[in-house]
Amino acid sequence: MSSASSLVIETRNLSKKFKDVHAVENLSMKVRKGEIFGFLGPNGAGKTTTIKMIMALTHPSAGDVLVNGKRVSNDSVRIRKEIGYLPERVAFYDNLTPLQTLHFFCELKGADKSVAEPLIKDVGLKDAINRKVGTFSKGMIQLLGIAQAMIGKPSIYILDEPTIGLDARWVKVVRDKIKMLNEQGATILFSSHVLSEVQNLCDRVAIINRGRLIAEDTITNLSQYLNIMPRLEIYILDLGGKVPEGILSIEGVTGAEAKGGMLSVTCVSDARAKVLKAIEKKGMIIRDFRTIEPSLEEAFVKLISKED
Amino acid sequence: MKINPNTVYSIAKKEFTDNVRNRWIIVLTIIFVILTIAASVLGGKGTLGGLDETVTTLLSISSVFIPLIAIMLGYATISGEAETGSLSVVLSYPVRRMEVLLGKFFGLGMVIVASTVMGFGAGGMIVVTTTGTSQIGSYLAFIGLTILLGILYLSLSICFSAICKKRVSSLGMGITMFFWSMIYGTIIIGIYLSTGGNWADLMSGVIPGWMWRSIFLSPSDMYQQSVMLAFNIKKAFGFEITSPGYINLGNLILVQLLWTITPLIIAYYFFEKRDI
Repeated sequence: MSSASSLVIETRNLSKKFKDVHAVENLSMKVRKGEIFGFLGPNGAGKTTTIKMIMALTHPSAGDVLVNGKRVSNDSVRIRKEIGYLPERVAFYDNLTPLQTLHFFCELKGADKSVAEPLIKDVGLKDAINRKVGTFSKGMIQLLGIAQAMIGKPSIYILDEPTIGLDARWVKVVRDKIKMLNEQGATILFSSHVLSEVQNLCDRVAIINRGRLIAEDTITNLSQYLNIMPRLEIYILDLGGKVPEGILSIEGVTGAEAKGGMLSVTCVSDARAKVLKAIEKKGMIIRDFRTIEPSLEEAFVKLISKED
Repeated sequence: MKINPNTVYSIAKKEFTDNVRNRWIIVLTIIFVILTIAASVLGGKGTLGGLDETVTTLLSISSVFIPLIAIMLGYATISGEAETGSLSVVLSYPVRRMEVLLGKFFGLGMVIVASTVMGFGAGGMIVVTTTGTSQIGSYLAFIGLTILLGILYLSLSICFSAICKKRVSSLGMGITMFFWSMIYGTIIIGIYLSTGGNWADLMSGVIPGWMWRSIFLSPSDMYQQSVMLAFNIKKAFGFEITSPGYINLGNLILVQLLWTITPLIIAYYFFEKRDI
């Protein structure tokens, strides 16, 4: 099987211009089958506009979107049979109950209405099943939005800021749901500006800033590319803000910084033990230490600041 | 373009169910029903003359309420839903924008039919008891013509909703259209009088050709004239007149249908191009 056919979503030089502003510029991005793909960027970077173009809600100024190898501009109706979508600002109909609402969407998707009630229970809205959606809180509406996206068990999920407006407990529920749907075979693209959410969830990420794609890779590769390496933070008695002599010359150590009683050493994992031993040999007392793994936060901030 | 009738039906059903519970629509319909009952009770004197007056009063009431209900139903259906985000959800489904437009038109149209039938049904029952069933054909025509008026204004307000970015703008256009239709007659008479015409001529039934033709530019006036013709009431602009041959029920209905279909076509064009 060629690599092209395993591409679920592909944008090719996708652009959108509003009057004079390039909301999205020359964006070429690939989402592979079966992955959880994080679409990241600060607010206003162009994430929602890109997603709307994938969903044919917004017409591109230039470029193409392909879903499962087919051009969205030619065949968007049939393509949308395969997609479950959650927009950034979701809303429903005040005068209808969640059950009536999902029944309506089941009809539109050609799915059996019997899936509506279990889905409502699944997202925790069982107690509100016969209340009008007009009485719902923002969080409840978001949950209904998630339920709606799951109708018909689509093979592709496109979620624009799926955890917005949810409290911590529901954020976890959504994360677990994303993992579960992915394990069942769905490809998931979701956007976020909350980086901690994306860590440990995404296989690959794309980072967008000011309408342009600035990176697309795995978190590990990105961190390596940006030289964000694991750090060893060592708490030493009477360190006095000075880097001990000889630490920097240990093989595998690429940098060291001292702040008060904490020594921060950037090095490869093999060198960690050597660093600790060297400190003890000098007669210094190690009170505590920990390893900090490269975080997406750092990669992100570094990339964005590179752009600016 | 292949239109899926099931999709149109689902959307129409949802629009009807949703909007029939809309507080504003319910309030307007109730007031409309109360007024039609009052008009029928007060107007019915058991004579044909009595029916004329009842019809004229009912006509004034429906000329205000039905367009108002239609505008309220249609003005936010695209612009408002795009603003809140519910339109994004619907359009993310395997549906065509044309199916959504048609579904909205039929579903909201059914709400208008319901409101009209309730108002005229209530009034009608009273009229029948006071004047008998001899004019029932005309009365049914009255209901039909009123429904046509409502659908016409619905089509216009949906069109505004498709064109405008914001719900506020489309509401503004709808209200402007409504007021325009209310003062149109006054404006026409004003033009007539200021260009050398006089009241005496008007009152004796001498109406210039252009004034007759101007009726085709005003849905509300076409509606009122159509109803008068249906009841054989020979009045226009409030005066006793004979209308020219081309001002007949067939032509008036035809032009009103044009006024209904054209905005829908325009609405489709704008809706299709719209970035949601």
